[in-house]
Amino acid sequence: MIMCRRSLVIGVAGALLFLAPNQFADEFKFPLKPNSVRFAAIGDMGTGDSPEYETSDQMVQQRKAFPFDFVIMLGDNLYGGHSSAAFEKEFASPYKVLLDGGIKFYASLGNHDDASERFYKPFNMNGANYYSFKKGNVHFFALDSNYMDPKQLDWLQKQLQSAGNDEWKICFFHHPLYSSARKHGPATDLRLLLEPIFIKYGVNVVFAGHEHVYERIRPQNGIYYFTEGSSGQLRSGGLDRSSITANGFDSDRAFMLIEIADQQMYFETVSRTGTVVDSGVIQRQQSSEAAKP
Amino acid sequence: MQAIRRTSKRLYYVLSAGMLVVEAVCGIQARGQTPAGPQDLKAPGFQEFSERVQKYLQLHKSVEGTLPKLKSTSDPEMIEAHQNALARKIRAARAQAKQGDIFTPAASEEFKKALSTAFQSPRAPNARATIKQGASLKEVHLRVNQTYPKAVPNTSVPPTLLQNLPKLPDEIAYRVVSHDLVLLDVRANLVLDFIPGVIPAQPPSE
Repeated sequence: MIMCRRSLVIGVAGALLFLAPNQFADEFKFPLKPNSVRFAAIGDMGTGDSPEYETSDQMVQQRKAFPFDFVIMLGDNLYGGHSSAAFEKEFASPYKVLLDGGIKFYASLGNHDDASERFYKPFNMNGANYYSFKKGNVHFFALDSNYMDPKQLDWLQKQLQSAGNDEWKICFFHHPLYSSARKHGPATDLRLLLEPIFIKYGVNVVFAGHEHVYERIRPQNGIYYFTEGSSGQLRSGGLDRSSITANGFDSDRAFMLIEIADQQMYFETVSRTGTVVDSGVIQRQQSSEAAKP
Repeated sequence: MQAIRRTSKRLYYVLSAGMLVVEAVCGIQARGQTPAGPQDLKAPGFQEFSERVQKYLQLHKSVEGTLPKLKSTSDPEMIEAHQNALARKIRAARAQAKQGDIFTPAASEEFKKALSTAFQSPRAPNARATIKQGASLKEVHLRVNQTYPKAVPNTSVPPTLLQNLPKLPDEIAYRVVSHDLVLLDVRANLVLDFIPGVIPAQPPSE
């Protein structure tokens, strides 16, 4: 009951505070505030094919106007197995310019990834298949949604509990808890376990991949969900927009750019050709009922 | 007055009986939500399984101890070489390993029961959806000591099911491949054992 009330309040507040996509597309601008947290999100990119390269080229272009510092990877980082050739062709080469520019990548594992990727230094996983890191006032939690065993759940709860209530809490992993895409649909079994934890500990935003489309979900129980699984792969026309879809894009590859400045999260979703297909501002939800340490 | 007392007493018994029925029904439903309760993990078959896992873990650690420790590296060849060397040594150390060594007959029975319950519970559609999220249920012929086929993407073990199976050390994980439940050494990417045909096919209603 408490959970429902909190969700309702946050959901309504969130809906009111959210600027509808493209409604202000011409007006949307990243504030580029000093000390803000700026990053990009890519998913299902590790094909090694030309669209992956073209998308990463577009990221380089966008970085000139929006200097992001790091990239979160939403899984399926390498489709071609885990030979050294695959690491080169599907990651090191397409993202060379960004890597050379000092951009850090933080990976999560998808269903096409091998667990040994966690030892690949440029993925910054430090040998763990789930981990957390902090940037400014944002706490990131990279999860392994391939294998949500009791140990990982315990770890997540402890990590979220120890994170400050005044911080943004962002989770990213491969399988989307909510999705309107045709191929796989939502990971409902995973949702049964994760969503109550997200609500209890005040997770603000969740990024996932797996579906080869872009979709922004209307806030669910007060939490914002994004799927970005089209940074290399694409399932053209694969999005079956539903009542939970706030916006989507399924006709070309895309990636997300995000800036978190104090209590606001600004985001833009950009296509391979540089078209802005979604944008908006999210106000950080207040998690007054989040568990206290 | 006595009539009132009798009526009150009857009402009390009726209400108590009603509450017991409600409690029993709710209890059954609640149990239905949890495919295999933790109490099942004490079953002799699961105990035997856990002992075999521990025995394997000792072997894994002793073999891995002979290799240079793998640290994060920018050289993927080192990662691949370590994994291959570990797999080769483990394969040699248990050259006689066969299906049923870890998933013993008694353990297999317990797993079959747990999975059967899970796939008939109210949560079964979610569990089935999880498996559908991964690879298609195409036929893959597994062998013990075989490298996990690189062409086969991981299929998540339904997370709610995973909460109620015997816990595994970090070096080992459950996998679903086609209709088989597989025990995988994740560091060596090696199939340790499997129970064939234990994952039910999609029911016609789904």
